[in-house]
Amino acid sequence: MNITGLDCLVFGVDDVEACNQYLTDYGLTPKDVSAAGGRFEALDGTAIEIRHQDDPSLPPALPTGSMLRKTIHGVADQQTLNAIAEELGKDREVKRLDDGSIEAADDMGFVLGFQISCRKPISVPAEKINAPGDEPGRPVNVIGADESIEIIPRSLSHVVYFVPDSKKAEAFYIERLGFRVADRFTNLGPFLRPQGTLDHHTIFLVNTPPEMQGVEHFTFHLGGPNELLLAGKRFQDKGYESFWGPGRHIYGSNWFWYFNSPMGVHVEYDADMDLHDDSWTPREIDASADASQIFNFTLVDKWMPGGDPH
Amino acid sequence: MNTSLRLCHLDDISDGDARGFDPLGSGRDSLFVIRDGSELIGYLNACPHRGYEGTSMAWRKDQFLNKAKDRILCGAHGAQFDIRTGECLRGPCPGQSLTPVQLTINEHGDVYLHPTDTGK
Ligand code: FES
Ligand SMILES: [Fe+2]
Repeated sequence: MNITGLDCLVFGVDDVEACNQYLTDYGLTPKDVSAAGGRFEALDGTAIEIRHQDDPSLPPALPTGSMLRKTIHGVADQQTLNAIAEELGKDREVKRLDDGSIEAADDMGFVLGFQISCRKPISVPAEKINAPGDEPGRPVNVIGADESIEIIPRSLSHVVYFVPDSKKAEAFYIERLGFRVADRFTNLGPFLRPQGTLDHHTIFLVNTPPEMQGVEHFTFHLGGPNELLLAGKRFQDKGYESFWGPGRHIYGSNWFWYFNSPMGVHVEYDADMDLHDDSWTPREIDASADASQIFNFTLVDKWMPGGDPH
Repeated sequence: MNTSLRLCHLDDISDGDARGFDPLGSGRDSLFVIRDGSELIGYLNACPHRGYEGTSMAWRKDQFLNKAKDRILCGAHGAQFDIRTGECLRGPCPGQSLTPVQLTINEHGDVYLHPTDTGK
């Protein structure tokens, strides 16, 4: 199944205005924003959609009250869309919506959408570094420490579900939708990559008791670790609450920085994720602080060593 | 020394709203206080969600409540708590509760924290 990655996550929230402001401050570009919600886009058009929790257009909420109402995966072509509709139609209701997309629930009850991907090709250079021994990343006289740069998240990266049965959830994504296991935390669950992308994971499953079913976090890719640190600092300076990071994960190698949000999920900035294809052999280990990150920092106030900073 | 810590004046918290405090200068708000008229309700800023115990709950400085301001909301995974009892009403920690902190308001409206309740 040529699923290319996440196109959009749709939330039904309690405080629309707070979520609109939050996602704008996070750096996404607001589109069609009103008191009823809005769409918040990355550079490549992938997005978060905010609606009020009572909006009748939304699929039903999970019994736990998680505010995520729908996960929309992009697919390469109509043929893939038809194949998914046929596959899932074997044992569940598959709705065909007016916009040409299809909708069905996974084996845990998360509502999924599939559409011909809205992800636009983008061509934006990654942040560049200079290092002895390699060609200069930046041309001569181009500075690296520019506090004024505009940082717009590039692409919706992944979502992490709390699932009551990660084995069953994993089987659904692998057997029915053709996802691959990238790596695995044996005591939590797998990192899953669909066939249409090389990104380490677009979904990560975490096994939890049923009453916790919902979402741990979602994240967008930034242009590199410097962008991630600067974006996170700006976000924290606006008063948003850092939860974990900045740091760098081991599985996936992505730099991370997690924040609380009014959507009732963590929202991450991520950068520089590993790419894999089917020749990759998944690793596995019990999740622990050591297995999860190579380092983890906490932002502190700026200071000037040496006393007299003028 | 066994003295109470002064947090603020009652009027520093708008009625119906919440505010976080960092009485020991730990770098993050270790507790929060909700004002209901002349009454204050305080809890440690520590979600009881299993596996995440101690997580800070605000999603932005002083944002501890839902839109209607009738429940406490955890900005990590959306747990909702009763303001009066601290009991989890919805979300990932049913049956668990927030840890209350004891506050006193003196005749001038100054708000003090009981010295054992500083939330580390
Ligand atoms: S840490 Fe509060 S809901 Fe998970
Ligand atoms: Fe992540």
